[in-house]
Amino acid sequence: MNRKTLTIALLAAMLAVMSSAYGMVEGLSGPNFVLGAKAGYISTPEGGSIYTWGFSNGAASMQYPGPTLIVNEGDVVTVTLSNELPVPVSVVFPGQTGVVAEEISAPTAAGTLTLEAGAPTSDPVVAGGTVKYTFTASHPGTYMYHSGTHMDLQIPMGLVGALIVRPVSEGKAVMGHAYHSMDSMYDDEFLFLMTEMDPNINSLVEQGRMDEVDTAAFFPVVWFLNGRCAPDTMGESFVEWLPTQPYNCMPMMQPGQRVLMRLVGAGHDSHPFHYHGNHAKVIAKDGRLLSSAPENGADLGTALFTIQTGPGETYDAIWTWTGEKLGWDIYGHSPDDPLMPNEYAPDHGKPIPVTLPDNKDLAFGAMWSGSPYLGVQGELPPGEATMGVAGSYFYMWHSHTEKEMVNNDVFPGGMMTMMMVMPPDGGGMPMKSAAE
Amino acid sequence: MKTKMITRMLLMGLAAVGLLYGQASAVEFNLVAGTTTVNLPGIGDVTMWGFGLEGGPITVPGPALTVPPGESLRINLTNNLPGDNPVSLMILGQAMPTDGESASPQVVRNPDGRIRSFVHETANGESGVYEWANIKPGTYLYQSATHPAVQVQMGLYGGLINNAGENEAYAGVTYDDSTLLIYSEIDPALHAAVENETYGTEAYPSTIDYAPKYFLINGVPYTEGLDNFRTFEVGEKVLVRFVNAGLQTHMPVLMGMDLSLVAEDGNLYPYSKIQYSVPLPAGKTVDALVTPAVAGQFPIVDRALSLTNGGSQPGGMLTYLKVDPAD
Repeated sequence: MNRKTLTIALLAAMLAVMSSAYGMVEGLSGPNFVLGAKAGYISTPEGGSIYTWGFSNGAASMQYPGPTLIVNEGDVVTVTLSNELPVPVSVVFPGQTGVVAEEISAPTAAGTLTLEAGAPTSDPVVAGGTVKYTFTASHPGTYMYHSGTHMDLQIPMGLVGALIVRPVSEGKAVMGHAYHSMDSMYDDEFLFLMTEMDPNINSLVEQGRMDEVDTAAFFPVVWFLNGRCAPDTMGESFVEWLPTQPYNCMPMMQPGQRVLMRLVGAGHDSHPFHYHGNHAKVIAKDGRLLSSAPENGADLGTALFTIQTGPGETYDAIWTWTGEKLGWDIYGHSPDDPLMPNEYAPDHGKPIPVTLPDNKDLAFGAMWSGSPYLGVQGELPPGEATMGVAGSYFYMWHSHTEKEMVNNDVFPGGMMTMMMVMPPDGGGMPMKSAAE
Repeated sequence: MKTKMITRMLLMGLAAVGLLYGQASAVEFNLVAGTTTVNLPGIGDVTMWGFGLEGGPITVPGPALTVPPGESLRINLTNNLPGDNPVSLMILGQAMPTDGESASPQVVRNPDGRIRSFVHETANGESGVYEWANIKPGTYLYQSATHPAVQVQMGLYGGLINNAGENEAYAGVTYDDSTLLIYSEIDPALHAAVENETYGTEAYPSTIDYAPKYFLINGVPYTEGLDNFRTFEVGEKVLVRFVNAGLQTHMPVLMGMDLSLVAEDGNLYPYSKIQYSVPLPAGKTVDALVTPAVAGQFPIVDRALSLTNGGSQPGGMLTYLKVDPAD
């Protein structure tokens, strides 16, 4: 990636900070969803355009991943799937019980996993089939849905999406909780849906050369978080220049906040999702709290700095950050200054333990605000601009299978984004939290 | 295995090793390593090496060996493999076996000093003794300990089960019924190279070039129309024993029910893990309980997407728990 692309990406990241409401995962509210299975194209930042099969929100174009379906515990969820692809397709919901599939309109056929919506035909002209899937979302948690037909082809082609079930107490969704446990409380939640593609397979499918596809030879060269490769992960959601990839993956927080990471292994491969800045406590897997007994919270969870997310698995983890153990005051306070909210008090007023170099001895990264202190804009030499306008800190979050941090051999890219630690006042930026 | 056969083997075992182990009783199996074929969709017969009980067929995986609670194990192994291919036995997760004479296990080295076999070998046409003084309860994989990069891939593996008690897998983990699912893969090119004695040449330099095209559960890839069901009843507490004898990581996912994972590598968890997915890397064993509440067909599908038979679909690692209404 050249400097210009990076600049554009970082500008996009900045725009995301400035204009998007965050704190909650974006998606469709349930409990009734109408999905299409359609073909389209996605973009990769090195200039690629990949033929993709995806789920759509009703009549809209396909998207990658499919719409994030958000429902409440206890909802009777219906997903009505209409097929516009040239092959039969279906939806399965791992972790859900009692899923009932019924034909709404022919053609349909019994598949290996569930009832499939048949493909449309051109001679005679017959529309594709429609199948309705119904289940009760009986457990809160992070889940996925994906094609249950020829999964070894249709999942890598893009027919995946996330499903989030929010806990309900006394008839109301409990906001700011992932599960029925204080250990699952969060201020901000972010989705990390991991997939990858082997564009050779997509290309063969696009050309109708299905007989030449060998899914056992799958060899991905592009890797995605929420359907985007870095640096597009850090752009804003719903930008018109990524019409089929609506969701960004831009985690942001303020010191002391609890961040819920919803990890979804939606693709073909296993990915060691690695986050800088702090360890995170894993509280749930496959939509079940890691708990020895309901009164014990997530007592079976462990703190990790890399979560190996296998295909089909989901994990929930709580991450937080205050600057603890840095050994110096992230705000550059004097000892007499008041504490900032959630400041790590033992380091209050401690100076940064190095002599800060003069600007003439520095090379300038695009995110450098001119100051090592959180929320502070420092002096920059003439001609240097910064994307770090809020004086934020940035931690790279990425797949630690580092070859997955490229787009078709171009670094940086792939399964990578930045956690942006904002100053407590947001540095003048709008800051919304799920707890509000 | 029939009770009569066990009894006979027990008697043989007592006669053979009674002196060594005093009053400890040993179950004894007579295993044969030999050649067989597996018929794969699209390409027909592929040459395999496998184990069989003496007088029985050579199969892949080999016969599931059940060691009764509290007993030690002796296997008399006969090598009927082709060419100059010594063979041996080990059980992942158990102590290494002895030859019945030496006090400790013996590795075998090539002339250049590299280890060829983790335990003593049995040469072609010969028979050897493999003894385990103690067998730990659990679900295990037995396999060749000689040139395993080739011999395990060729099919020299099987499941081994040792229960803590009757219908009790581990202390306190009881079940009504069980099924053993052994996952493996086949790269037909490797098998052709071994059969043509071109393995280690340019034709197929080593297993580093392994590129499997077929994905099997208990030696069979999913094929439409075959009986792919394991049948149970509503309310039965079913123990599913997952074993990966292949070289790749698989991810069995049970659709429509939660599994309660109770043990891994033959070690009981302090708490069971409730999840629908079973991470199953090469060599791993996982024990999981499930008690179906309703009748139906519940797929167990490899979410690592090994779901093809040499490029054709559907296929690969897919099977079903078929749950019938209770009587």
